[in-house]
Amino acid sequence: MLSFLQVLSSGIAIGCVYGLVALSFVLVFKATETVSFMQGDLLMLGGFAGLALHLAAGWPLALAAVGAVLAVALLGAGLERVALRRAIGQPHLVAVLLTFGLGMMMRGGVASVPAAAQDMYRLPFAADTLGIGPLVLAASHVWVVLATVVLVLLLALFFRHTRAGLALRACSEDARVAALMGVPVARMHTLAWALGAGLAAVAGLLLAPITFVHLNMGLIALKAFPAAVLGGLTSLPGALAGGLFLGVVEALAGLVLPEGAKDVVPYVLLMAALLLFPQGLAAGRAGGGGR
Amino acid sequence: MKRLRRLALALFAALAGTSLHAADVAGVSAREIVVGHISDLSGPIAMLGTPVRDGMLMRFDEANAAGGVHGRRLRLAVEDAGYDPKRGVLAARKLVQRDKAFAFIATMGTPVVMATMPVVLEAGRLHLFPFSPHKATYEPLHPLKFQNFAPYQDYMEAATRHMVQAGGYRRTCLLYQDDDYGLEVMKGVETGLERLGQTLFERTGYKRGATDLSSQVARLRAAECDLVVLATVVRETVAAMAEARRIGWKVDMLVTASGYSAQTHELGGDAVEGLYGVSVLPHPYAEGANSQLADWIERYRARFGAAPNVWSVMGYSLADMFVRTAEATGRDLTPEAFARTLERLEFTRDYFGSPSYRFSADDHLGNRHGRLAQIRNGRWELITDYLR
Amino acid sequence: MSATPVAAPEGLRVLRAAFVWGLLLALAVGWLGADFAFSQATLVATYAIAGLGVVIIVGQAGQIVLGQGALVALGAYAQTLLVQAGVAPLLALPLAATVGALGGVLASLPAGRLGGLYFGMSTLAFALIVEEALVRWESLTHGAAGLMVPGFGLAGWQADTPLAQAAVSIVVLLIALALAARLLRSRLGRAWRAVREDEAAADACGIAPGAAKLRAFIVGGSLSALGGSLYAHWIGFISPEQFGLVFSFELLMLAFIGGARRLSGAVWGALVVVAIPQAIAVLRDTLPGDWARSAGLELVLFGAIIVAVVLLRPQGLASGPRSG
Repeated sequence: MLSFLQVLSSGIAIGCVYGLVALSFVLVFKATETVSFMQGDLLMLGGFAGLALHLAAGWPLALAAVGAVLAVALLGAGLERVALRRAIGQPHLVAVLLTFGLGMMMRGGVASVPAAAQDMYRLPFAADTLGIGPLVLAASHVWVVLATVVLVLLLALFFRHTRAGLALRACSEDARVAALMGVPVARMHTLAWALGAGLAAVAGLLLAPITFVHLNMGLIALKAFPAAVLGGLTSLPGALAGGLFLGVVEALAGLVLPEGAKDVVPYVLLMAALLLFPQGLAAGRAGGGGR
Repeated sequence: MKRLRRLALALFAALAGTSLHAADVAGVSAREIVVGHISDLSGPIAMLGTPVRDGMLMRFDEANAAGGVHGRRLRLAVEDAGYDPKRGVLAARKLVQRDKAFAFIATMGTPVVMATMPVVLEAGRLHLFPFSPHKATYEPLHPLKFQNFAPYQDYMEAATRHMVQAGGYRRTCLLYQDDDYGLEVMKGVETGLERLGQTLFERTGYKRGATDLSSQVARLRAAECDLVVLATVVRETVAAMAEARRIGWKVDMLVTASGYSAQTHELGGDAVEGLYGVSVLPHPYAEGANSQLADWIERYRARFGAAPNVWSVMGYSLADMFVRTAEATGRDLTPEAFARTLERLEFTRDYFGSPSYRFSADDHLGNRHGRLAQIRNGRWELITDYLR
Repeated sequence: MSATPVAAPEGLRVLRAAFVWGLLLALAVGWLGADFAFSQATLVATYAIAGLGVVIIVGQAGQIVLGQGALVALGAYAQTLLVQAGVAPLLALPLAATVGALGGVLASLPAGRLGGLYFGMSTLAFALIVEEALVRWESLTHGAAGLMVPGFGLAGWQADTPLAQAAVSIVVLLIALALAARLLRSRLGRAWRAVREDEAAADACGIAPGAAKLRAFIVGGSLSALGGSLYAHWIGFISPEQFGLVFSFELLMLAFIGGARRLSGAVWGALVVVAIPQAIAVLRDTLPGDWARSAGLELVLFGAIIVAVVLLRPQGLASGPRSG
C-alpha cells in the first residue's frame, strides 16, 4: 500500500508537468488553431535560460526563474509576430511543420553553446524530502504540484477577471465575433503565444530538478501531446486533467502491469480515447478522458 | 648542367617516392594524414561526442606541434551524423571519397557504426575503436577492424561475479534501458550469476528518455532485491538512486561504465553516495592528480575552456594509440602496415590509469576488463584493480 | 478531363524531367565524386519512394498523417525478415509492399470516426505503438538490438557498389512514379482530389470518402514500405528507433518542401531532405576557424530552411478545408 502511494505521488508530480505542457499546447491551439510541435523545445529553452541567468549571470535563483519565463514568453510573442501568424488560416500541417522547424532551430542554437551540448545541469533547489507519516515525498515533486496549483489559479483569475483574459477567451470562442466586438484579435494571438511559451518554460524549470537540464529534455512533450488530446484539445481544465490522468496511469501501469506496458499506455489510451469519444473530445467536455 | 641533373634526379626521386607509397594510399600525402571521425554532436549521445572529439583534437595538435608523424601533419575530419544511419552512410562516403580518410576512428552510435562499417571496410580503410557495444565491431576477425572498448557483457559478468562473491548478495536484480546497451548488460549479468549458481532475481526496464523511475524502483523493492545492477546512463542512475533513498530503501547498486561519470555525483549529490560503478578508464579529477595528469587537465582546460571528463580522456587515448601506431609503422604508411603494427604493439598503463590495451593477429579486441569504483565523499574512488 | 490532350505534353514533361535530373546527377558526380554522388542518389531515390506515400495520402487525399515512419518500418522489417528467410530480394519487395498496405489499412481505421487533426493524432499513436511492438516482439525482430540486413542481390549479382544501388533505387522509383501517375489519372485519383477539396460535396457526388481514404492508405502504405525495404538494404542494419517520429517528420517535410500536389514533389523534396544536410556539411568545411566545430549550426540551418520554405510557399501542401 505504501509503495502504491509513493508511486502515486510521483505519478501526480509528473502528471502535473504533462498537464502544464498540455495546457500550454491547448492555450495556443484554442486561440490560434495552431498545432505547436515546439512546446518541448520551448520547455528546454526555459530550463537553459534559467540556468544561464542563475549560473552564468549570477542572478538569484528565484529571479533567474522569473527572468527565464519572461524571456521565453517574449520569444514566443516575437515568433508569433514574425512567423507564426502566417500559419493562421492555413492547413494544420503548415503550423505543424513551421513549429517543428522553429523547434529545430532552438535546439541547434542551444547545441551551438559547447557547455550546453556536453553537460547536464541541475538547478540548485529542491533536493530534500518531506516526510508525512511513513510517506516520503520528494521536495521537487511537492514544488511541481504547488506551482501547478498556483499557476492554474492565476490562469483562472486571468481568464475570469481581467480584460485581456476575457478578450482572449472571446477570441478563442469565435475570432470573428470577437473582432466585431472590438477585440484586437491579432494582439490576442500574440498574447496567447506568449502565455503558451511562458507556461512551457515554467514546466521546464519545474522539471529541472527531476530530469536535470539537458538538450533532450523537451522529449517529454511527446507525452503531453496525448494528454492534451485526452483532455479534449480545446479545454484548459481538460488538458490539466488529461496530464494528471496520464501521469498517474503511467506510473501505476509500471507498478502492476507487465514489463514494458508502461511505455505504450499513453498511446493506447490516446487511441482508445480518440476512437471512443470522437464527438465528446471535439466538443471539449472538460476531462472527457480524464475522469 | 650538373645542377639541372641533380634537380631532375631529385624530382624523379620525389615522384618515384610519392608514387611508391604516399600517392597510392588514400589519406596519406607527403605532408598530411587524414583521419575520419563520424560523431554524434546533435543526437541522443551528443554529450559524449564533444569531449571525445576534443580529446582527439588535443592529441593530434600535440603530435603536429612536435613535428607530426614522420613529418606528416595529422588532420581530424569530423562529420556529425546525429545517431542517424542515413547521415552516417553519406558522411562515410564523403570522408572516403572527398577527404580520403586514411582511417576511421571512434564512430558513434550502434546504428551509425553498423551502417558505415561496410562502407569503410570495402574502401580498404581502417575501422578503429567505434563507440558501440555490438560484437560485429571486432568479430568476425577482419584485418582492418579493431575495437578497444571492453564489451559490456564481458566486464559486467566479471563485475557482477566479484560484487556478489565479495558482498554475499542473494537477490541480484537489474534495472535496464531497453535497447542494445541494456540487452548486452543483461547477458553479462546473467552469465556472471549463472557461474555462481544464481539467477537474475528480478528485472525491469525503461525506455530511453523516461522521466520517472519510481514504479520501476518500487517493483524492485517489492521483490526485496539486495543488489541492483543498473544498465542506465547518468540521469537514470541518479534518478534510480534518488528514488530508492527517498523511499528509504538502502539497497546496494552497481552501475555500468556508462554511469561512471563525474556528472553522476555532481548531479546526484548525497543521494548517490555509496553507489558502485564499473570503470574502464578513471575520471580525470584535478584534485589529487599526479603531476602529468594535472598538467594535462590544465592544457585541456586552456584549449577548450571546459574541464575534461572521462570521455575526453577516452578520445585522447584513442588518438594517442593512433599516433603511436602510425609512428611505429614508419614512413611507408599503409592501412595493412598500420594494422600489422597495431597487432604487435602493447599499450601499457599510463598516467591516466587506463588499462593496458593489447591486440594480436587473431584478436582485435584490445581490452575486456573493467574495475570497480565507489562514490565516496562525492567522488569516484577506485576500489579494485582491473578484474580478470 | 479526357486523357488524350494530356498525353502529348506529358511525353515532353517526362523528357524534360529526365534531362534535368540527368544533368543534376552529372553535376553531382563532377562536384562530389562518383561514389559520394551515387550514394546520395541512392538515398534520394529511396526517400522519394517513401515520400510518394506521403504525397498520395497528404497531398492527394488530403489526410493528415504524422506517423508515416511506421509504414516505412513495416516495409524494412518485412523485407529483412523475408530475405533472411531465403526469399529473393526482388521477390520480397512486392511482399514487403503488401505488408505496408496492410499497415496502411490499420492506420486508416480511425478515419471512419475521426477527421482532420484528430485523425492525424491517431496516426501518431499508431506509429508509436508499432515502434513499441517492434521493440517488444523480440523473437521476430530482435527488439532494440536490431537486425543485420543482407545485401540486395539478384541471381548471383550483388548490388554492392554505389552505382548499382543507385541504379536499382532509380529503377524502382521510376516504376513507382509511373504506377502512381496512372492511379492519379484514374477514377480513384479523381475521388481522392474530390475528398481533399470537400468531403461532403464528394459524398454528395456519389464518391464514398471512407473508401477513397482507405485506398489512399493502401497505396501510400505500400509505397512507403517499398521505400523502407530498399532503405534496409542500403543501410544494412535496422532497429526500431530509426523509424521514429523524426523519420515521419522528415517524410512530411519532404512532401511539403517538394510540393505535395505533384508526384515529382516527392523527388524534389527528397533531394532537399537528404542532400541539404550534406551540402551544409561540405560548405561548412570551407568556413574559417571554430565555426566548423559548432554542432548546432547544421540543425539551425536545416530548421531555417524548413521555416523559410513553409513561410514562402505555404501552399506546398494540399489546402483542404479544415475539419476538427
